[in-house]
Amino acid sequence: MRRPLGCMTATGLLAAVITAVTVVGAAAFSGNAIFSPGDLNGTVGQTPRGGVRSHAELAQDCSRCHVPAWSGERMGDRCLDCHGDVRTEMEERASLHFGFAHPGNCRDCHTEHQGPEASLTRADMTGFPHDRVGFSLRTHPPVGEGGTFLCTDCHHAGLQSFDAASCRECHQLLDAAYLSDHVSVFGDGCMACHDGLDRYGRDFDHQLAAFPLMGKHATLNCGSCHAGATTVLALQQTPAACVDCHAKDDVHERRLGLACGECHNPGTWQEATFEHERSGFVLTGGHLLADCQACHVDRKWHGIPTECTDCHAQDDPHGGQFEVSCGNCHLTTRWSELTFDHAKSRFPLSGAHRPTACAACHAGGKYVGTPRECVACHRDDDKHAGELGSDCAACHRATRWDDVTFDHNKSAFPLVGSHQQVACSACHAGGHYRGTPTSCVGCHREEDKHGGQYGTDCAACHRVTQWSDATFDHNRSRFPLTGAHRSTACSQCHGGGTFQGTPRACVGCHAEPGVHAGRFGTSCGDCHSTSGWLPAGYNGPHSFPMNHGGAGSSCSTCHPSSLTSFTCTNCHEHSAEKMQDKHKEISGFSMGSCLNCHPGGRKDED
Amino acid sequence: MSSRRELWLSLVAVMAITGLYSGVSLRLGVPEARGLFGHSLGILGFALMIATETLYSIRKRATRRVPGRMSDWLQFHIFTGIVGPYMVFLHSAWAYRGLAGIVLLMTGIVVASGFVGRYIYTAVPRTADGLVLEAEAIEQALRQAEEDLREAQGDGAGVSGPALGTGASLVLGRGLLDLREQLRTWLTGWRLDRETRRQAGRTAIAQRRLRDLRRQLASLATARRLLAVWHTVHIPLGMALFVAAFAHAVAAFYYATLLR
Repeated sequence: MRRPLGCMTATGLLAAVITAVTVVGAAAFSGNAIFSPGDLNGTVGQTPRGGVRSHAELAQDCSRCHVPAWSGERMGDRCLDCHGDVRTEMEERASLHFGFAHPGNCRDCHTEHQGPEASLTRADMTGFPHDRVGFSLRTHPPVGEGGTFLCTDCHHAGLQSFDAASCRECHQLLDAAYLSDHVSVFGDGCMACHDGLDRYGRDFDHQLAAFPLMGKHATLNCGSCHAGATTVLALQQTPAACVDCHAKDDVHERRLGLACGECHNPGTWQEATFEHERSGFVLTGGHLLADCQACHVDRKWHGIPTECTDCHAQDDPHGGQFEVSCGNCHLTTRWSELTFDHAKSRFPLSGAHRPTACAACHAGGKYVGTPRECVACHRDDDKHAGELGSDCAACHRATRWDDVTFDHNKSAFPLVGSHQQVACSACHAGGHYRGTPTSCVGCHREEDKHGGQYGTDCAACHRVTQWSDATFDHNRSRFPLTGAHRSTACSQCHGGGTFQGTPRACVGCHAEPGVHAGRFGTSCGDCHSTSGWLPAGYNGPHSFPMNHGGAGSSCSTCHPSSLTSFTCTNCHEHSAEKMQDKHKEISGFSMGSCLNCHPGGRKDED
Repeated sequence: MSSRRELWLSLVAVMAITGLYSGVSLRLGVPEARGLFGHSLGILGFALMIATETLYSIRKRATRRVPGRMSDWLQFHIFTGIVGPYMVFLHSAWAYRGLAGIVLLMTGIVVASGFVGRYIYTAVPRTADGLVLEAEAIEQALRQAEEDLREAQGDGAGVSGPALGTGASLVLGRGLLDLREQLRTWLTGWRLDRETRRQAGRTAIAQRRLRDLRRQLASLATARRLLAVWHTVHIPLGMALFVAAFAHAVAAFYYATLLR
């Protein structure tokens, strides 16, 4: 069994019971006075409330203020049962208890059980919402909140009463003259205007208000504008429009509206600074210097036309040819100061057109309808006599006539090689450009060294750099150059500059040498290459097998004495005796006619 | 110092609370019992008093292993038993009337009773865990102490000590006797050279240990009887205090907080 706590002894429990009974008994006997933290306040009121003149008289009757738990009441309700005036103040605007006090928060400001002499109101009043009574303590901070004001500084006769005289007592010391004037204008009901939030008076800054005082307004007596205003609302509702006070001063008889301040300053009526741009017609240039009545004839201020021609129709030297406003081209300073930008026109000026006098193109001051084609002005300057059409700008810049932009490369005959250095007139004689031939011979017929034998397309073999820069490829001809022909001078074959018809057969250039005369024919290439006459080798047709009997390429095996004769008996046992005996039955047999019966050199060929 | 750590800590806490209370009083006036500061003192102090009354008692009866030695819990019990009532005392705002005044008076009585109880409690020899040593164990320790003293004296001299008194004075008068012995030791040692004084100090410690054990042996029955008597008085006082304090707290909550 677990032991009970040390305090749970019989004597301990007995002591607890005795104590509890004693407390309950004492509470019942004293009316709960044993719980009282101190004596009640002994201040005696002028009239009895709830049958007593002071709280102290309640003595042991705690239930007069303290309510039982089951009653549904609060202690504050009991307070108000006796202090009915406070209950009334809770509902009266600008009274001490209005707006914040209720039965649940009496103790926020009031206390009890502090002894018969103690105050029923907490001394520092910290947190008391003084602004709820219609006057904030922001500019009169109390001692309890770090300020210098005591409650009694203003509430001489008690916290629930206030006399505006207490305001004057202090503020007279600050500025007696101002206060006197102020009271004479607004009266002595300070609280009617002042709520403690601002510092109306000596430190009040009208400049921070909705109507800052400027010019002569700053020197006026308050009553000049605020006459009769005795509440803050009335002060704030003082009309602020100029005409509200100055209607009688309007020399314009309302023709310029009611916004005086748009032209006049508060200092003086005379120094009007009308900002003409507000009218929608900004004054610039000569308009600034013009007399107002030059436009506003008879002091007519409204309905003045704003188009240039409305006033300057008689000044138009253009005779009305322009439909646009004068201001599109002219400044308002002088007519001669133009803002017209020819670059934005349909004919931007460039090159020599810029320094050209306007009249050169716009003769007679005529601007509208001025032609834009070159020939319209420059027909007389056309060196081409109309040969190249009317669009000069296609080839010429506007700077000078000789500043040509013509690009020959975009023409049918792009200039390349030596043609680029050739003077135009070399091809375009007499300044003629149209119909200039584009074929080589059109210009170079006289220079044709070939006498026309190669036709007219020089470029087929020559570049345009120089005649000697030929592009002819002999290998693509019918006689490709090989061997010794490559290093042979052209004239060796093409004597007399003749190229066409040059023979391609060897014997056309190489006469048959005596050693071959009548023996090998003229097909030199059968035995010789173009590299040289020697060595020579027979590559042509041979009626008899060239390797017969293992002769190989040794011609002398069969042709011991001459290439034009042969013998078979050098190799074979072709003795005449045997052959004749062997061929005795062969008709026409002879020792020199072996090939007749053995053309392939074979024995069985008979 | 360590044997009285709870008293020193209590003193520090009391001084700190006093400093805080003084600062608040100088700035805002004497804190009202119903104010934030005064109310906080009362609630916290009462909580410490409840802790004083319950935690140590629970620890003594704990059957499971509980952190901390019994002596530590006793020190905490003493600490809260001093600081808690002091805070309640400050909470009173120097007004002593009605039930609140009675509660404060009872608090003072219980605290004073507690000091007496601790004085008696320390007369009973115990282990570090608070277990009471029996006479046999004390006699064994006594023999060891006599041996230690002879060794400390180094001359085989006798180990007799001053008269310890009789009856209740053995328990209640030991503080005075200890004080007198300490004074005598200090006056004697003051005239000795340094080495001799160090030797005398060791001898004095052994003598004090021997004297304490002799006194504990002689007063064991008396101390236990006095402690039982003290319990018989202290516990009812404490229970009465807590019942009255509870009634006060309920009334304060009812009238002040609930605005009844």
